[in-house]
Amino acid sequence: MFKSFWLAAAISLAAIGLLAWAFVATSARDSATGDSTSADGSRAKDEPLVVYCAAGVKPPVEAAVNDYRKAYATRVELAFGGSGDLLSRMSVARSGDLFVAADTDYIEIGRAKGLIAESLPLATQTAVLAVPKGNPRGIKSIESLVAPDLRIALANPDAAAVGKEAKSILEQTGLWEQVRRAVETRGVFKPTVTDLANDLKLGAVDVAIVWDATVRQYAELEAIEINHELHSPQTVTIGVLRSSRQPARALHLARYLAARDAGLVAFEREGYKVVKGDRWQNRPALTLYIGGVLRPAVEQTIEEFRRREGVEVNTVYNGCGILVGQMKSGGLPDAYFACDRSFMAHVADVFYDPLDISRTSMVIAVTKGNPHGIGGLNDLQKAGLRIGVCNPQQSALGALTERMLRETGSLERVMENVVSQVPTADLLVAQLRAGGLDAAIVYQANYARVKDHLDAVSLGTAAAVAVQPVAVCTQSPYANLASRLVEALRTAASQKRFLASGFEWVGADRPVLLGSP
Amino acid sequence: MNRTASESSATPVHRVGSDVPFLIGLCLLGGFYILLIVATLVADALFTTPSDLARALRSPEIRYAARLSLFSSAVTTVLSLWVAVPIGYLLSRFRFPGKAFVDATLDIPIVLPPLVIGLSLLILFQFPLGGGTTLEGMVGSTSEWLVGRRWAMTYAVPGVILAQFMVAAAFAVRTLRTAFDEISPRKEQVALTLGCTRSQAFWMVLLPEARRGVLAAATLTWARSIGEFGPILVFAGATRFKTEVLPTTVFLELSIGNIEAAVAVSLLMVVMALVVLVVVRALGAGETVGRAVR
Repeated sequence: MFKSFWLAAAISLAAIGLLAWAFVATSARDSATGDSTSADGSRAKDEPLVVYCAAGVKPPVEAAVNDYRKAYATRVELAFGGSGDLLSRMSVARSGDLFVAADTDYIEIGRAKGLIAESLPLATQTAVLAVPKGNPRGIKSIESLVAPDLRIALANPDAAAVGKEAKSILEQTGLWEQVRRAVETRGVFKPTVTDLANDLKLGAVDVAIVWDATVRQYAELEAIEINHELHSPQTVTIGVLRSSRQPARALHLARYLAARDAGLVAFEREGYKVVKGDRWQNRPALTLYIGGVLRPAVEQTIEEFRRREGVEVNTVYNGCGILVGQMKSGGLPDAYFACDRSFMAHVADVFYDPLDISRTSMVIAVTKGNPHGIGGLNDLQKAGLRIGVCNPQQSALGALTERMLRETGSLERVMENVVSQVPTADLLVAQLRAGGLDAAIVYQANYARVKDHLDAVSLGTAAAVAVQPVAVCTQSPYANLASRLVEALRTAASQKRFLASGFEWVGADRPVLLGSP
Repeated sequence: MNRTASESSATPVHRVGSDVPFLIGLCLLGGFYILLIVATLVADALFTTPSDLARALRSPEIRYAARLSLFSSAVTTVLSLWVAVPIGYLLSRFRFPGKAFVDATLDIPIVLPPLVIGLSLLILFQFPLGGGTTLEGMVGSTSEWLVGRRWAMTYAVPGVILAQFMVAAAFAVRTLRTAFDEISPRKEQVALTLGCTRSQAFWMVLLPEARRGVLAAATLTWARSIGEFGPILVFAGATRFKTEVLPTTVFLELSIGNIEAAVAVSLLMVVMALVVLVVVRALGAGETVGRAVR
């Protein structure tokens, strides 16, 4: 009877719908706390986003921002100028949301001044000699600039990135003073790269040092390469200003500009060599695999990152052996935070260079008061002890434990006392606390959280240390986003949380590199 | 009389003995298990304090996890019944080639370790289907086309439900098949000879008859899914305020040595499960009693 079927179907659908509605409605309160700064740019806020933009990259940035305005019905104001000029402007004004610099150096200066938080690379450009089409003055190299009565235009080194670059090139060739005098007498210093290109186009000067991308934007100009030993490509970079009162919206636009299928398309069209950007997604979702022991140290940092970026972050906490197994079977995360280097090595071929963040030593956790009088590794051989260790295949701690016991020659005798082998150390702590074990080999970080209930005996060997590295997956469509999360894990605030969770801080100094896998 | 009694020892007559030893035996054997369950609960309760419980109830993470647990297992139950009723009916009423194979296939989700089920789902949804798409991508684009929003399966709430469904539906099938088996096909055959179609016989005769079986299957499915953990951890992750269900909470709390909170959440689950199961069974019993009276 079809009536009954449709009735049953309708009731089921209604039930599911009602349940979903109840669930979403009651959960809205909880998630609302996290998403007040939702990156969903479709809701145009009253306050426009203010972007300071290096004049040289105006064409692609303007094009991409126009697309963005249309797609997300949001107000964006652009202010153009030389990178150096803009930087001094914003350090005075202490307002605005984003800064597109023609060269990463300005972002780094801004960061050092406390003006800039995150930064995203966009494209690279190289300084070239620009001349009118046909090269009427026969310029061949940087040395040609010393020819008499040549009218040279340079950008002001303090105001524009290309001016700084030109000065650096000329200083290396020892021509700076000579060329500077020539510019001052016959040529001109201009504040932005666009002014230089315009002067050339009008025939007001004979030669200028500009970006290769600028030349491609002017049909009337032609580029002459400068000896590569003197300089290297500079990276056009967008930085998020600390002054931004709407960081999630600012980052949404920054991600759009730096996405390979959104903003970078405009850069490519304008002749820039673009970086390998992330895939565009209104609200991307990062997936993180994290060794279970690290959860208390990273959870809050990840939550803050999620709110600031206005993205989704999926976290999978488990024993590292299990996580590696998952990765080997094809479930790759965007980033992986391992309990020990050894469990990063298994999957190193699909990750960029890992960064060591923290380390923790191993200890013997024992019942409060140490009733069995365990003083060190040797005492674990005492007959009748109930000992717990981690499984060497499933977890980094287990592998380290096995190696340490083997090195001290006590593996076989200690294993006779092992009554519990589990995939993660927290289960050992639970078993100890429930009275099922007399001793367990765990991380200091595991012990630190239960030190009121248990005692610990130091192992005192150098072998007993695990180092926790984090790495970004080479296959991730959001590798840049993931590397910003790694950056967030390396901040002072994150360091505090690691220390509070019983870890020691390693915190490498070098930046997160997405260069070599 | 006396004589007869003495004679009876020579030619024994059957005498009904006391049922007490048998019943005591039953109670002892059964009581052992019930005592074990109650004892663990008491131990749990003694390990925690009212303030631990109160703290667990106040925590927004745990409240979210409780709601997600209730929501997902209820949806799973409805979905499971929709596949379990047809499969149970087909297996119970028909013989067809490959039936043994189908039967064995249905046991796989019960036999496999939960982690393996999660892993298999993960592999399935990330498996390249050609044309650069995956099942996950197809779910995304289909939902985008249908409701204008991109839904995710992996590491998202639908993934929680799918992971629960994978295991729980197998239990529902088993229960319903047994329920259908126990109902004699005689009444349906009578209905067929009286001019019913198979569909009418199913909806009007078999299904009302199997009401208790359906209810049993539903409660078992629900109970099974609310306790499900292994496949969820792997396939849906343990993201707070997103895919964290109550068993995940227990796992997360345990993983930092916070046994008090883990136990408090476990007790919360026990209470929730007891309330739901008792209420549903009472409703079900009421219904069957009502039918009997009519």
